Amino acid sequence: VRIDKTQRGWAIASLIMLVVFTGVYVAYAVTAPSGPLGGSAIGLTFGVIGFGFMIFAALLGARKRVPVWRVGRAQAWMRGHLWLGLLTLPVILFHGGFHFGGALTRVLMWMLMITVLSGVFGAGLQHYVPRVMTTDVKLETIYDEIGNVRKLLREEADRGVEAVCGPLGFGKSAKEEAQRAGGFSASRAMATTTSGAAVAAAAETVVLTDEECAPLRKFYLAEMRPFLEEPKQRRWRLGDADKAHGVFSGLRTLMPPSAQPTLGDLEDICDEARQLARQEKLHHLLHGWLLVHIPISLAMILLGAVHAVMALRF
Amino acid sequence: LAQRIDLNYFKRPTALKRAKMWLSVAAPGLALVWLAWHGFSRDSRVYSSGRMSEAHAVLEAECAACHVQAPGLFSAKASNAACLSCHDGPIHHAAQTKTLGCATCHTEHRGRVNIVAAKNQSCAECHGNLKTTGGTTRFATNISSLEEGHPEFAALRARGGVTASDPGTIRLNHAIHMKPIRRGPGEPNVQLDCGDCHRPLAAQPANWKYAEAKYLAGEPTYAPRDETLGVAVPQGILARFRPVTGRELMAPVKFSTACAGCHSLAFDKRFTEGVPHDKPEVVHAFLVKKFGEYIAAHPGELRETRDPGRNLTGKPVQASVRVYTGNEWVATRVSDAEELLWRKTCKQCHTLTPGVRQDNLPAVEAARTTVRWMPHANFNHDAHQGFSCTSCHEKALSSTESSDVLLPGIATCKTCHAPGPQHADSRCVECHTYHDWSKRKEVTPTFVLPALRTGGR
Repeated sequence: VRIDKTQRGWAIASLIMLVVFTGVYVAYAVTAPSGPLGGSAIGLTFGVIGFGFMIFAALLGARKRVPVWRVGRAQAWMRGHLWLGLLTLPVILFHGGFHFGGALTRVLMWMLMITVLSGVFGAGLQHYVPRVMTTDVKLETIYDEIGNVRKLLREEADRGVEAVCGPLGFGKSAKEEAQRAGGFSASRAMATTTSGAAVAAAAETVVLTDEECAPLRKFYLAEMRPFLEEPKQRRWRLGDADKAHGVFSGLRTLMPPSAQPTLGDLEDICDEARQLARQEKLHHLLHGWLLVHIPISLAMILLGAVHAVMALRF
Repeated sequence: LAQRIDLNYFKRPTALKRAKMWLSVAAPGLALVWLAWHGFSRDSRVYSSGRMSEAHAVLEAECAACHVQAPGLFSAKASNAACLSCHDGPIHHAAQTKTLGCATCHTEHRGRVNIVAAKNQSCAECHGNLKTTGGTTRFATNISSLEEGHPEFAALRARGGVTASDPGTIRLNHAIHMKPIRRGPGEPNVQLDCGDCHRPLAAQPANWKYAEAKYLAGEPTYAPRDETLGVAVPQGILARFRPVTGRELMAPVKFSTACAGCHSLAFDKRFTEGVPHDKPEVVHAFLVKKFGEYIAAHPGELRETRDPGRNLTGKPVQASVRVYTGNEWVATRVSDAEELLWRKTCKQCHTLTPGVRQDNLPAVEAARTTVRWMPHANFNHDAHQGFSCTSCHEKALSSTESSDVLLPGIATCKTCHAPGPQHADSRCVECHTYHDWSKRKEVTPTFVLPALRTGGR
């Protein structure tokens, strides 16, 4: 959702509706002998309009689930969801005459406020976060696959270090064994194997002496591999791009020239793992508010329907 | 890329998607459980549109006390009948053109508010454009609120080009009484307070600063109508719901409580006491009795020697002696005393008309003191006791004529009573009554204890 000039039509229409509704409410509130009441003709009208807006906003979920429905463009539905959903709050406040009423209506009012405010917060995030994602996470992958990609990165790093230092003692899965021909990284070129699977070029095997590879082995086991397993923990130096660069620069001075390509690969792997962690964090930020917005709005619609029936009864 | 990405990834829900789905089921489910729990415990309060008013707080859990479901109908809205089953609501005026439902003015479920205090809009429903079944009305026809359309108080309004005047006949110069004033010969000046003369009806007479025990104990023979214009509710004025406490209005100023302390009704130097504050015939009888008793006790005074020292011409006067009979002496002394009283003492405050009575005594005009200046409103002095009297009745400091109306105007009220948080309430109900409680009908009780607390009647 980008809040830009393409939203102008909806924004102006919503503003006009808000002005009209406010005018009607003020005229009604000033002249009503008992003050504004939800059960009066005007109060009920506001209630029906507000509930209609809620239903429309909720139907966005259904619209997304069945994209083939010929009921208007998804973009129009999203804009309607955003602006009419926002308008629901003043309309329902007019419906209740700014009284929160009894237990059910009070719960409904708070639910509405939480839903609308979380929606506004979410719209703001969806305007801002994708841009941050584009600049900060150049190696963005499918969110659902982050765990899988992270595992593959770890295995590729294992292979790279083993190619230089010999076996590290980690068990290998059958799938991993099948990929022994070559690891991959999103920043490395891929080659076509005889089986047709796309993998990165295999690391050249240059086994150094124990003494030569000791700094790399120690660094990898103590710092890099734990980082690849739990990259979101704050304590890792490798979690910070500048510090990681410093670490690898130091390591390069300790290692012989034959290990330098491997160190380059490992630094790329750390960079990608860092970006995946950043992507994961941004994704949670971008979608986490929906954990509040959707359940509360569904409960609100259910209770709203009950309220409508019981209010007509009493 | 095919090896890097599992192409079936979208078939496996992520933790975020799973949480979203479960919460989307759990939140409405919890809402249903909440409603069901109230339903199973037969508690409909959850559907209430707000807390009950102060007066109906006891019915908070008893929805069915007012929301009676009509047979065969889904609706169970509270009707007028539900209200009238507990308390009557007499109509406002017989000539009113609209009959409003109880809930039009007394809106329930608005929290612990005073449900009696209707909004101005309720009154303005009719008084904003007043019409009567008869077509005419003596009231202002476009009153929406105290601020909008309310006329000046009737007691202060000029009628037919004549300015408003106090109908009372007692001569009183407020300005003099508000300054330091000598109480009597040889006595120091005193500064009167308003409260020395003006106190609520319920004030105890013994506590009056300038009361006189003799007059307090006396029982005057004049009727209340000779004193005041009455505090009873006149015809056409709505009776209040709550009884008066006696502290709302100021009592009419009485001689015994306010005047006797300074204004003695002395009539002869032979007596220290004054005449009763009563009708002329009572005063006359008192004088005859007093002088009769005196001369019986002092028969030597029947022989009266003319005092040469009283001749103011300066010419030598021979002493002369006059001998009275008892009746002659009493008649002469009574005549002298009455001359003093009718021409000076009484006349200082009262309007006396000689020659209209057969017994040659003067006729005393009724005092006609106004006790209730605003019969259509319920002013309460007690509620305003924190303010000095002259801050509202400022004309009292300068008024010299008893015809001056010292009632403060509506502008004075509006300095405090106005809309907004910085002001006192200015709703119509602050001063006016809607229901004419003189027409109330008794109702048959419907609730019983403790059944009310358990949902029964």
